Amino acid sequence: MSGVLLTRLGKLWLLSILFFLYAPILVMAFMSFNASQYYQLPFEFSLKWYEKLALNTEILDAATRSIAIAIVTTVVATVLGTAASVALFRFEFRGKRFLQVMLFPPIAIPWLITGTAMLIFFFGIGLGRGTPSVIIGHVALAIPYVIVVVSARLATFDATLEEAARSLGANAWTVTRRVTFPWIVPGIIAGALFAFAVSFDQFVISYFLSEPGDSTLPVLIYTSIRKGFTPEINAISTIIISVSMVVMLIAARFSNFGGER
Amino acid sequence: MMKPFFLSTAAAVAIVGSAASADEIRVLNWQGYGTDLDWSVASFAESSGHTVIHEYFNSEQEMLTKLRTNPGAYDVVLINAAFTPQAQSEGLIGPIDVSMVGNLADVPANMAENVDLNAGGSLHGVPWTWGLTSFAVNTNEFKELPTSIEVFWDGDYAGKVSIRDDALEAVQFAAIATGQDINDIKDLDAVKAKLTALMPQIKTYWGSENDWNQFMAAGDLEVATFWSGSASRSMAAGLPVQFIVPQEGAIGWLDGLSIPTSSTKKDAAHAFINWMIDPEFYVKWAADGAPASANSKAAAALPDDAFNKRVLGDAEVVARVQFQRPVSTENREAYLALWQELKAAQ
Amino acid sequence: MSMTLANQQRIKIFSLLSPAYLWLTVAIFLPLSAMFYFSFLSDVPFGQKEWFYSTENYQAFFQTTTYAKLLWKSINLGLMVTGCAVLVGFPCAYVLAKSIQGRSREALFLLVILPFWSNSLVRIFSWAIVLRGNGVLEIALNTILPFEVDVNLMFSTPAIVIGLVHSYLPYVILTSYLALQAIDDNLIDAARSMGANKLTILWRIILPLSLPGLLAGAVLIFVPVVGSFMEPRILGGRVGTYFGTVIEDQFVAVFNWPLGAALSFILLAVVLIILAVASPILRRAQT
Repeated sequence: MSGVLLTRLGKLWLLSILFFLYAPILVMAFMSFNASQYYQLPFEFSLKWYEKLALNTEILDAATRSIAIAIVTTVVATVLGTAASVALFRFEFRGKRFLQVMLFPPIAIPWLITGTAMLIFFFGIGLGRGTPSVIIGHVALAIPYVIVVVSARLATFDATLEEAARSLGANAWTVTRRVTFPWIVPGIIAGALFAFAVSFDQFVISYFLSEPGDSTLPVLIYTSIRKGFTPEINAISTIIISVSMVVMLIAARFSNFGGER
Repeated sequence: MMKPFFLSTAAAVAIVGSAASADEIRVLNWQGYGTDLDWSVASFAESSGHTVIHEYFNSEQEMLTKLRTNPGAYDVVLINAAFTPQAQSEGLIGPIDVSMVGNLADVPANMAENVDLNAGGSLHGVPWTWGLTSFAVNTNEFKELPTSIEVFWDGDYAGKVSIRDDALEAVQFAAIATGQDINDIKDLDAVKAKLTALMPQIKTYWGSENDWNQFMAAGDLEVATFWSGSASRSMAAGLPVQFIVPQEGAIGWLDGLSIPTSSTKKDAAHAFINWMIDPEFYVKWAADGAPASANSKAAAALPDDAFNKRVLGDAEVVARVQFQRPVSTENREAYLALWQELKAAQ
Repeated sequence: MSMTLANQQRIKIFSLLSPAYLWLTVAIFLPLSAMFYFSFLSDVPFGQKEWFYSTENYQAFFQTTTYAKLLWKSINLGLMVTGCAVLVGFPCAYVLAKSIQGRSREALFLLVILPFWSNSLVRIFSWAIVLRGNGVLEIALNTILPFEVDVNLMFSTPAIVIGLVHSYLPYVILTSYLALQAIDDNLIDAARSMGANKLTILWRIILPLSLPGLLAGAVLIFVPVVGSFMEPRILGGRVGTYFGTVIEDQFVAVFNWPLGAALSFILLAVVLIILAVASPILRRAQT
């Protein structure tokens, strides 16, 4: 098989996977324009769910709150997680293996249990609930993901690069800034994007720890499925995804974090 | 000269008084279950000055957990009568001041004197709504409506049947099908055998009203257990379904509104509960689909063709209903073990 | 001198690690320890309930076959989903890292993560619309194909696998990408010039060098899938009962946190054992 053909096939594969990833998103967007509340086909075009959404301050407030919490979570979890992964990668010390293993409980134990545990613990220590508690919980859940992703990138780091830089007379700070950091940027970006996703989709913790009336979008979605999950939810999700896509593509246009050498 | 001065002072006091009592009350309930209707909350705020904020729960256990862990956070909570004695014995809810809920006068004695709502010897939950857990069928598939619960085991509907993924409901449903008392199941083996025979008929379990409506609308289901209030809502929304109370009987439940012991706004809470059992509120709510009201004046005020009057107003139907009583922890866990074993075998 | 160096290093390690791990301790480890404590109680210590220390919750796991059967089913699901995600995602990451150049690579990198930013429940419901009989998939296939097909994947194990692979695929694509992109192209060119064929290059150079990323992705998929219950329940219908389901029931249907907690810690232990057994094997494969 010729290399060109293989490359073409590969690109075709990538495209089909992207299609697979976006299939339910497209359906979601499609259904937000469908008149039937129960997603019945055939399709009948309607803007009524967007009109209803525009008047639904509860959903709009929850969406804004979710985005704000996710941004704070992303920043904090990415900084703390990246620092920890650098230490775990750079240094050998006793207990390192243990610290690495301890990243799994938050991922493995279903969030329902972690959330319940946080609820009783936060009450036990008098922290109670409210947005700060929600953020503390979100950050904690996001940190392991950031560490795992950033470490995966660091594991490929060639230490001789740093040595080479140092032997050329660069000081420690310069080495970090000019050699190490650029190398792990793609990992940090990926970790941050996952942290955002973890927070933005986190239901259990927000559900247990947010104040009544201060619910986040996932909480609203999960509690509304009992009675009626209206396509307004699809409409807000479609808007959020479209806006993020535009923002991301602009970011991709003006930056270089894919690890281009 | 004296008189106007006195009057204006009184008016000032009244204004200050009403401003001071304009509370924000927090209601803990299922989402979309009557208390959180926009128009109703707005009209309550206008007449009483109190604003209403909601928090939701997704299971009775969660509601109890929230009450236990968040003292002071809630002023009104919806509790199914089968759980009222537990909440009362744990000290989570306090007695209702009957004098502050004027509409209670129109609640018939059989509801107002319900043993479970009167846990601890006094009223702890104001009877609000009641309804049935029975089943509904897709009228496009049934020329003649079934009258027996046996339709669930009818081979013609294999793979088109659904029950809710809930151990207690599944066991009580099978108890009715095997002719037993749902509150005192003597022959659990018969229940198990009946459910084992039902499993191959089932397409999927449903978890929420939303699931149910979607599955029905997509034609995945033809016969499925359902709640009467939800059925009236689905019919109002135009789904081709009909609610059936079979000859074997149905499960009945009663929901009450309670006030947590830790509430600091009990006056406003009583006022809200009184509004919730007001006929004016209920008739408007029922137009979009609601369970039956515990207030006989409210029930009587419904139009004659209303679902709750037509089906649940029929004394013969009500005679077939077995109302749910509290379930002991041991039984609840035994039912769950049975249900999990059956589900795991699939 | 060496003493101060060691001290300096200790301070560095401490200052880099402690913020993250302190945070995890307060928000996760201590609460989970409380749950661990609960798992040895006979009842939840609330109110005036009677309780005593006991291992009955752990014994319960062995008293019926239900739990073991479901745990086995969950592990199988985890392996199946992880396997599918790796097979689908790794080639994808390879193409992204090696065949796509320039700005479009950054754009694609972001596009892979973006579906993650939608709500998982909304995504599952969308899959339900696609997979059910007379759903989007069937309509689409019948429009393209010259003959009529009947596609109803809803309420089956394939539906669960599709839904879960979709939910977790971005992990393996991105972690593999991060590792693959770091492989120096010159290394591959050198091997090629020495006569190595494509399979040898893949097997001897690309796979070993990208293994850390691939494994990180696989672990991020396997671990949560074993405990999942939401996707299986909605997409699997009657066959969608897994170990996560029975844990959830202990918290939601009955108020038996001790048993639910015990079951979760058994789940955690089994997952950690699987990872521990797998890691030396995989490390050997890497060298």
